[in-house]
Amino acid sequence: MSDTAAFPTRSSQRASRRPLQAPQALRTLLRSPLGMLGLAWLVVIVVASLTAPLWLPYPIEYQDFSAVLAGPSAAHLLGTDELGRDVLSRIFAAGAGSLITTFLAAVVAIGVALPLALIAAASSARIETIINRVTEIAMSIPALVIIIAVIGAVGTNLYLVMTCLGLLIAGGIYRVFVGQAKSLQSQLYVDAAEVDGLRPAMVSIRHILPNMATTIFVQFVLVFAIGLMLQAGLAFIGFGPQPPEPSWGGLIQSASKQIYVHPWLMVPTGLVLVFTVLGANAVADTLAGGQGAPPSQVALGPEARRRRRELKAAAPVAVESAPEGMLIVKGLTIGVDDGPELVSSVSFEVAPGTVLGVVGESGCGKTLTALSLVGLLPPGVNPREGSIRWGARDLARLDESGLAAIRGREIGFVGQEPMRALDPMFTIGYQLAGAVRRLRGVGKADARAEAASLLGKVGIVDAERVLRSYPHQISGGMAQRVAIALALAGRPKLLIADEPTTALDVTVQAEILSLLRGLVAETGMSMVMVTHDFGVVADICDEVVVMYAGQVIESGTVHDVLGAAEHPYTTALLAADPHAGLGVVGQERLASIPGQVPQPRDWPTGCRFADRCAFAQPQCVVPVPLIARDRGDGGVRCVRVHELQLGRLDDPVPLDAATPVDGGADPTAPTTAAAPARNGKVRS
Amino acid sequence: MILFVIKRFALAVTTVFVVSVLVFLLVHAGDTTPGVVAVGIGGTQEQIEAYNEQIGWYDPLIVQYLAWLGSALTGDLGTSLTNGSDVLDEILRRFPVTASLAFGATVVSSVLGVVLGVTAAVRRGLADRLVSVFAGMGAAVPAFWLGIVLVFVFAVQSSLLPATGYVRFEDSPSGWFSSLVLPVLTLAIGGAAFIARQTRASMLEALGQEYIRTLRATAMPTWRILYVHALRSASLPIVASIALQFIALFGGSIIVEVLFALPGLGVAVQGAVGQADAPAVQGIVVVATLVVVVVNLLLELTNSFLDPKLRTS
Repeated sequence: MSDTAAFPTRSSQRASRRPLQAPQALRTLLRSPLGMLGLAWLVVIVVASLTAPLWLPYPIEYQDFSAVLAGPSAAHLLGTDELGRDVLSRIFAAGAGSLITTFLAAVVAIGVALPLALIAAASSARIETIINRVTEIAMSIPALVIIIAVIGAVGTNLYLVMTCLGLLIAGGIYRVFVGQAKSLQSQLYVDAAEVDGLRPAMVSIRHILPNMATTIFVQFVLVFAIGLMLQAGLAFIGFGPQPPEPSWGGLIQSASKQIYVHPWLMVPTGLVLVFTVLGANAVADTLAGGQGAPPSQVALGPEARRRRRELKAAAPVAVESAPEGMLIVKGLTIGVDDGPELVSSVSFEVAPGTVLGVVGESGCGKTLTALSLVGLLPPGVNPREGSIRWGARDLARLDESGLAAIRGREIGFVGQEPMRALDPMFTIGYQLAGAVRRLRGVGKADARAEAASLLGKVGIVDAERVLRSYPHQISGGMAQRVAIALALAGRPKLLIADEPTTALDVTVQAEILSLLRGLVAETGMSMVMVTHDFGVVADICDEVVVMYAGQVIESGTVHDVLGAAEHPYTTALLAADPHAGLGVVGQERLASIPGQVPQPRDWPTGCRFADRCAFAQPQCVVPVPLIARDRGDGGVRCVRVHELQLGRLDDPVPLDAATPVDGGADPTAPTTAAAPARNGKVRS
Repeated sequence: MILFVIKRFALAVTTVFVVSVLVFLLVHAGDTTPGVVAVGIGGTQEQIEAYNEQIGWYDPLIVQYLAWLGSALTGDLGTSLTNGSDVLDEILRRFPVTASLAFGATVVSSVLGVVLGVTAAVRRGLADRLVSVFAGMGAAVPAFWLGIVLVFVFAVQSSLLPATGYVRFEDSPSGWFSSLVLPVLTLAIGGAAFIARQTRASMLEALGQEYIRTLRATAMPTWRILYVHALRSASLPIVASIALQFIALFGGSIIVEVLFALPGLGVAVQGAVGQADAPAVQGIVVVATLVVVVVNLLLELTNSFLDPKLRTS
């Protein structure tokens, strides 16, 4: 697993799924041994076939009667056929015709499919539909049957036959092209070019075509491979170049007649054909390599075995058990196996019935920290040091079955994207009732009733209808309520919520927050709330840890941290938060923090924020421990904390001004703190 | 959903219609007139002309096509020019051979493809590499060459199975089975490679989705995540790939029937084309297309039934 792919952020997953750009594709090809081998073979075959008349050891009709059906020898490197003709000479003499006509099929297929795709992507939905229907018909026609009918009409004119093949294959190629052309067409810069008055045809040629270069080449090579096999197949059943003119399919056909007396004859031509198709496929596969699947959410095969081995081999670490319902994270370090560290020595505690906020920019390790608390880290990313104590167990060292016993029953999880958190193939009733059955061990009917009552608890009025619905039939806010109901299905004592409101509309965000606040008050469970929004923190949390580049850089009560932030990063984050100007009074424009969060492999040994810090000094290059806060409980990771006294810079705005006065669960009451949540994100 | 079914059905009918027009035009584009074939070697020009006149070969194309279509819809596909037999009877007589071959190949390639694809996706490591070698080879080895290799190994070297020929099921079920093993395998390997590749990719795609995390968070056992949820989501592209490879199956069966000397539709179309037997070519091509289109329509409807979004629309 490469460094970047190990990052379970959505942006990196999407980036890896874009087709490769031409220069990048070329580099990938040059670096892949298999791709280069395929390319080299293709080049050798093409050059050798096209130049065959210049170097062939024997004329194709020359018969060596002293060596009929002979195996390989110095005189005949690949042996001779039943008439004593040299096999090597015949293979390469046949090559040029096969390759040139197959090339023609590929040119026709691309030449028809590409313009159609560009037109379909650039024109109205109606024209696209018409083109789609026509190509669908072409795709569902059995090509070989039609081609044989064509041969019946015009004879074995290979140029015409392969042109027909190109036309018939074009439908399938069009489907590949049109998908990409449409996604390119919807890119912003294409819109911009159109607004600039560039004619649609020019937009297609200048902005879309170059970006499709790799796909076009890949499809070309694939059609070439298909065409080669099909042509050989036709020649095999007698619809190829007529004897004595050699063709690959014809050579195999006549070899098949000698299978009882001289099976070797099958080998040379067959392997040349197989290797040529393999070579073409290898080149295409290598070039198309950018379109891999997203990293698996389940540890599979060797990865799962390796983790099990590691856990078994690790010396048992004696950890004192945490009090009932208390989560104690101590020195937790998370890293990619054989890769960089992603979270460094994080410590915090969550007392029963309290809410801890984990705040920071994207890429600071908040989500990974949250996932580790439920044992849901992506495969290949594991805790390295430290402990996550929950009761008598250490979740950082628990194996899959140990974690499965805790997930849902003791610790629940709610993710970021409600619409993607539910399985689109199953009804909500199936998913929710199934979770209730699993987690509480009740019967089918009871589980269904409990599912309905859970939906009621999360504020869904028509529970029966929602239970019958599929995820695509409900709204994002509704889906998040369902996801919360799922997390509550096992009556957990701790709920981990990873940015549960980020993907939602502003009004829905407020509703979900009040729902969570109400649930905490009602059930007495505790919660870890990951967010990048101080409004959410002010609204719902008791304690907060601020994370930067994998470290906790400030912690304390919400009152202390929001009211009198002491770390330069926290004050900068608060200044960048548009509502209320919690930290800095009187400023008119929103501040922004220059630069961005460094990548894990670029983390400095000293203060990780120093590069972007307005107060950085030479002493900031040494590692910084968490230093006790100037005021209140908690820590600050800044060597200059006592010197700067950022918490006392201004008279802090009383916290109450920024938080809603009533902390109740009224979903209709607009919470001022939650409203501008999206804008609170520092880095766009 | 109903609208979707109607649309798909209309498209299927159009496809068969387009093919029937296409093959009609192709038959008429050739140099050889039916008279030449029917009268045979040694016939006089007058005899040939008379025959062509009699079947209306010189009528306008549209009249001829409508006449063919009219009788085709009533189940009359004309008579063969070479042996005078009824084309539809001939097709029905040969159909079981090709159907056994195509059905067997579809079942074998689907089962083999799905099992290998799922194994590769779930077990990763060595199993994954072996399956990808199989998928790569299977996609690159031409059926006719593979068939000969199989004959060499199982018929010439070890005579476990017959090299060529067909035994009717009615005559001997076990003979029928063993006469089909090699042809079915030959035809199925390419499709299995294609389906395995698609299955593996779809499984991995499904396992990367965020809802898998939700399933784990609610203590769903891993085997259920893999074989119920991920496989369920992968089922749509898998069925689509089975449908796609079925389209190519009839073409492949021509080659395999010739190779193994099976008296099916593929050999018939090869012979009919070689002898310029126009009614037979037209009849077999249209019937073959009809079967392919119907099976594809069924698979597509299966797929739309599997997809909650389509089903509930």
